[in-house]
Amino acid sequence: MAGRDNVAQAAIAPCASGRWQGNSLSDMRRRMVDRVATGLCWAATVLVLLMLFSILFVLVRNGVGGLRWVTFVHVTLPPGQGGGLANAIAGSLIQTGLAVLIGAPVGLLVGIYLAEFTATDGRFINLVRFVSDLLLSAPSILVGLFIYMIVVVPTGHFSGMAGALALSMLVVPVVVRTTEDMLRLVPLSMREAAIALGAPRWRVILFVCLRAARDGVATGILLALARVSGETAPLLFTSLGNMNWSVSPTAPMASLPVTIYQYAGAAYEDWTALAWTGALLITAGILMINITVRLGLGRNRK
Amino acid sequence: MTVAEKQPVPAAISVRNLDFYYGANHALKNISIDFPQGQVTGMIGPSGCGKSTLLRVLNRMYDLYPGQRATGEVIFDGCNILGPRVNLNVLRARVGMVFQKPTPFPMSIYDNIAFGVRLHERLDRAAMDARVEDVLRRVALWPEVRDRLRDSASALSGGQQQRLCIARTIATRPEVVLLDEPTSALDPVSTARIEELLDELKADFTIAIVTHNLQQAARCADQVAFFYMGEVVEVDSADRMFTAPRENRTQDYITGRFG
Repeated sequence: MAGRDNVAQAAIAPCASGRWQGNSLSDMRRRMVDRVATGLCWAATVLVLLMLFSILFVLVRNGVGGLRWVTFVHVTLPPGQGGGLANAIAGSLIQTGLAVLIGAPVGLLVGIYLAEFTATDGRFINLVRFVSDLLLSAPSILVGLFIYMIVVVPTGHFSGMAGALALSMLVVPVVVRTTEDMLRLVPLSMREAAIALGAPRWRVILFVCLRAARDGVATGILLALARVSGETAPLLFTSLGNMNWSVSPTAPMASLPVTIYQYAGAAYEDWTALAWTGALLITAGILMINITVRLGLGRNRK
Repeated sequence: MTVAEKQPVPAAISVRNLDFYYGANHALKNISIDFPQGQVTGMIGPSGCGKSTLLRVLNRMYDLYPGQRATGEVIFDGCNILGPRVNLNVLRARVGMVFQKPTPFPMSIYDNIAFGVRLHERLDRAAMDARVEDVLRRVALWPEVRDRLRDSASALSGGQQQRLCIARTIATRPEVVLLDEPTSALDPVSTARIEELLDELKADFTIAIVTHNLQQAARCADQVAFFYMGEVVEVDSADRMFTAPRENRTQDYITGRFG
């Protein structure tokens, strides 16, 4: 009992004396290092936020003026005649949409292969993963050139389909990576439990693993969509751009990034204004995708 | 010990001269043991002694992992299930397994149970509803979940999840149920409920349970097997094992001198 009383008293006693006070020199050093490190973290955060918000600020300031009805319903016109971005907006939606429709299933299947068929030859799996990671970091202009060589040259003309194919090659590695990572988060015990019920492999993967990883996999596809919606380089040699309204995938097709690229460097004021508006539209689109992803994940965490 | 209990009970599964290897590691050494029909066989022994490994041989779970192999015989329904022409999905439907950690699938309570049933039977809506209700009643989960069968199973408590997993396993109507430390992640109240459940289930199923809890083995098991370093040291009725073991190593283990 006496011992317990002592403990209670020690806890109440003021902590400024005796063994509560550490070696004051090392104590001061520790505090200083802490302050410097915390300060550096703050400074870095503020720097990044400043850059982000200055970009957003300039974008909004220069682009918001172009957010008029005519921008969305009228195609691009020669300088001095007004016009809008309708063909570029439609082209971007079609090409990124097609790119995800083509690239996501391929990426999904490869990701499933990498995560679930680990019993097969490990060297081959590693090779596939390595190639996929290479593709993830490949310069996107090379992807454009590749599609130029295998689609544009044989068919003899630029086309929206070629642009979509180039973008889909950028979708694949993103989806592969997120699908594999998300499937690996599904505990082995859940797979074993399904197999222990006598479920064949494909049912385990389709109805248990993919279902458990559903939100993460969907997030990966949305992130891939966000990534390719701002890509310019792969489209330069593939869909080329088109001043007129065209939604045919076999003809050259306009897109927001390429139009921005062409208009931003032009000497005409109305073109540069439209380029700003286009940039604002892409940024808003990507922001919306990211917010969707966040909301989706937040719902999942609850 | 009554005379009736001494009558030999036919074995649901007979293991004969079983050796098991994890790569080069010889994990089970020449094991022979019978699992009597309609009885609970408790498997005890220190960690790494091979109890769980034996369970994973009985439904050939080890097949998932290259480098793991078994030699010898495991006779189930007149057939050596280690043989090459065994349909593993059918085997696993007939020899069900419940794991240490509750593993509800990411779907509704109802679908968790229907998932396994749909693999092996075509039931119409009413029959499936009846099956789900029946197994949920048997694991005493029905009153707690009857109004939320469509809710996600992950919202259940740990003990409820484990009872759901047992319901899921018996829903495919197996003949043998393997349980790998089914209560080690549960609180005492949930544990007690699962132990009561085992007592009722053994009327219909042959049960093999791995446990680190010696009291649990004494309470639940008809027959107890003591494993040590990949060997079966002793198999006997629970009464005899915990009162008068024949082997010194068993005596040492159950009195807490090692393990």
